Amino acid sequence: MASSMDEKLKDILAKVLLIDESKISDGMSRKSVKEWDSMAHLMLVSEIESAFEVTMDDDDIMEIQTVGDIKKTLKKVGITT
Amino acid sequence: MDSKEASQKQRESTSSQLEKLLNQVQKEPTHLNYWNVHKRIQKLDLESLKIPDEKRIKVALLSSFTIDPLCIYLDIKSRFAQLHPEIYVAPFNQYQQEILNENSRLYTFKPDVIILAVQADVLLSEHFFSEFVKLSNVEQYQTEIVDRFQTILSMLTARTDALVLVNNFIVPSFTPFGILDNKADNGFRSFFYELNQRLAELYKKSSQVYVVDLEGAASKHGKSRCLDPKLYYRGSLVFSESFLPVIADEYMAYIKALKNLTRKCIVLDLDNVMWGGIIGEDGIEGIQLGNDSPGNVYKDFQRVLLSYYNRGILLAINSKNNPEDALKAIREHPHMLLREKHFVAIRINWRNKVQNMTELAKEINIGLDSMAFMDDNPREREQMKQALPQVLVVDLPSSPFLYRQTLENLNDFNVLALTEEDKKRGEMYHARKKREELRTSISSLEDFLKSLEMKIVIKHADDLGLPRIVRMVNKTNQFNLTTRRYTDAEIRKMKEAKNEFVIYSLQVSDKLGDEGIVGVAIIRKEQKMWTLDSFLLSCRVIGRKVETAFLAKIVADAKEQGVSTLVGECIPTQKNAPVKNFYSSYGFEELAQEGNLYRWRLDLTKSTVKMPEWMNVKNG
Repeated sequence: MASSMDEKLKDILAKVLLIDESKISDGMSRKSVKEWDSMAHLMLVSEIESAFEVTMDDDDIMEIQTVGDIKKTLKKVGITT
Repeated sequence: MDSKEASQKQRESTSSQLEKLLNQVQKEPTHLNYWNVHKRIQKLDLESLKIPDEKRIKVALLSSFTIDPLCIYLDIKSRFAQLHPEIYVAPFNQYQQEILNENSRLYTFKPDVIILAVQADVLLSEHFFSEFVKLSNVEQYQTEIVDRFQTILSMLTARTDALVLVNNFIVPSFTPFGILDNKADNGFRSFFYELNQRLAELYKKSSQVYVVDLEGAASKHGKSRCLDPKLYYRGSLVFSESFLPVIADEYMAYIKALKNLTRKCIVLDLDNVMWGGIIGEDGIEGIQLGNDSPGNVYKDFQRVLLSYYNRGILLAINSKNNPEDALKAIREHPHMLLREKHFVAIRINWRNKVQNMTELAKEINIGLDSMAFMDDNPREREQMKQALPQVLVVDLPSSPFLYRQTLENLNDFNVLALTEEDKKRGEMYHARKKREELRTSISSLEDFLKSLEMKIVIKHADDLGLPRIVRMVNKTNQFNLTTRRYTDAEIRKMKEAKNEFVIYSLQVSDKLGDEGIVGVAIIRKEQKMWTLDSFLLSCRVIGRKVETAFLAKIVADAKEQGVSTLVGECIPTQKNAPVKNFYSSYGFEELAQEGNLYRWRLDLTKSTVKMPEWMNVKNG
C-alpha cells in the first residue's frame, strides 16, 4: 500500500515539476527545482490533496520546502508514503 | 548538412514532439496532464515551425483574479484547432491599469483577442453582499457597474482593434431572500440577471466587443462545481479544474470564428444516425424514428440539425445504402423532419465514403476544411480522419442518447456576425441546383445567362453589408486576386477614409433567387490612379460574367472621376490559379513584378472594359 502511495506522489511531482521520476528524492527542495514556483506549489498541493482525499493545514503548506516536508505533512493527516 | 537542411530537420522534430504531447493530453485529458503538457510545449523550439500568420493567434488575459490556469487550456485547445497561440496574462488584478496605461504590456503585445474577466465582487463595495437586503437603490449599483465597464471598454476599443471578449456575471445560487427572491422588490438573483441583460444590451450592436455568457456556461456545468473553495480562498482561483475546459471551449468558439475555422456543412450518415436501424434490412416500417423511445432520440437529433439548417448550416448525406431504399425513407417516412430539399447534396451508394466526401465538397463548392462528418461507424470515421484530415470528424458516442448533446456541444459553426445570406443559405443552394438544371437544358451560355434575368447591384459598402464584406474578404480563396485579409476594424477604417479607399460591394439576384452580396472590391485611391487592392467574387457566381460587369463598373466610375490609370494587383496562391490571367484578359498591360506581387495597368484614356449588354446593372 505504502509503495503505491509513493508512486502516486512521484507521478504528481514529476508531472507538475517536469522532472524525471527516478531523480525525485526527499531532499529535493523548492530552491533547487526551477519549476517549483508559487503557482506550481498551489498546483502540487491541490493535486496531492485530491489524489489522497485529504486537506492539509495552510500553515504546513506554507512551510513545505522539500519533498520530505510534503511527506511529513501528509503523515500528519494520516497518509504514509 | 547545410543550414537549410538543419532547420528543416529541427522543424520536423519539433512538430512531431508537439504532436506527441497533444496526443498525450487528448488521450487522458486530466488537469495534471494539461498542466504538464502545456509546460513542456512552451519548452519546445516553436519558432522553428515557421507558422504562417493566419494560423497565429495572440490572446491577452485581463482579470480581477488568478487566471493563469485558463491560459493552459486556451493554449492547448488552440493547438487542437491547428492554431499557434501566444498568450499574455496581465498581472493579478491589474486589468484597469493595463487598459489605462497606453504603454502597458497589453498594448505592446498587440493581441488579436482580449479576454476581460472581472468578478462582480471587485466592482461592488465590501458590504454590498451583506447589506443587500437593506438596499433601496440597487438599480444605481447596476448603472455604476455598467458605466465602469463602458468607460474601460471604450478606452480599450479606441486603442486596439482586437476582438474583446468580456464575461458576464455568474448569477449566485444563494440568495438571502431564500424562496422569496423573485417576490422581493429587489431580488438578489434578479439583480445579477438584470445586470447581465444590461451588459448584453450595451454591446448588442458592437462588432468588436462580445459579451461571453459565463453565466450560461456555469449553469451548464453546474454552479456548485464551477468554483473550488480551496483554490479560491488559497489562491484567488475562481474557476475550478473541472470548469476550466468548459469556459476555455466557450472562448474557443470566438477564437475559431475569428480565425475563420468555421464549418459550413454537416455531412451525415443515415443508418443509426438519422434513424435507428438499417433501412436496407429493417425497411421503412422497421427503422426507429418517431415520438417514442428509441425513435425519439433520432427525431430530436434531426430537430437540432433542422435548426442549424435554418441558420445557414448546410446539410449533406454520405451513406452506404441502396439509394432507392434510403430516399424512400427520406421522402415518405412520416417522422422524418429532414427531407430531400434540406440536403444541398446527396451521396447514397456503395462506394468509399472518402471519395464521396471529396465529390460532395466539389459539388457544394466549399473546402473540405468547411465540412464536419457524423457517422456512427468508428471505422468509417478513422478512415475519413486519415484520408482527409481537413474534415472535422465528430466522435459520435456509442449511445444514441448522447447524439443531440454531442451535436450541441460542437463550437465549430460560429461566425462573428450572422448575415442575411446565412439565414437564406439553404434556399440559395436549392436555387443554384435549379440553375444548373436550366443551364444543361439551354445550349448557349449567353442564352442561359439571359434566361436567368440576372440583376446586379454595385454600390459603395454600407453598414448593413459590412459583416458580409468582412466575411468574404477573409474567406474567399478561389476567385480572389490578392487574398489580402482584413479585420472588421480595418475595413471599417477604410470605409471611413473616403479619400484613400473605396470599397465596392456587388449583389446578384436572378429569377431563381437572391444571392445577396457576392463580390467585393477594395480600391486604393490616388489623384490620377486607382489600384485594385482586392478584387474577389464568391464561387457561387463565377461563370456568369458578373466579374466583367464588376470591373466595367469600376472602370466607368474611375473615368468619371478623371482617373487615367487603373492598376490591378494579383498575388498568386495555391488556390487562386484560375484568376492568374484575369487582368490581362481585359487588355491590361503587365508591369514589373515586385516579389510575389504581380501588377497590371490599364490606360483609361485609351482603353475601357465593356459592360455585357444584357446585364441589368443598378447603382446602389
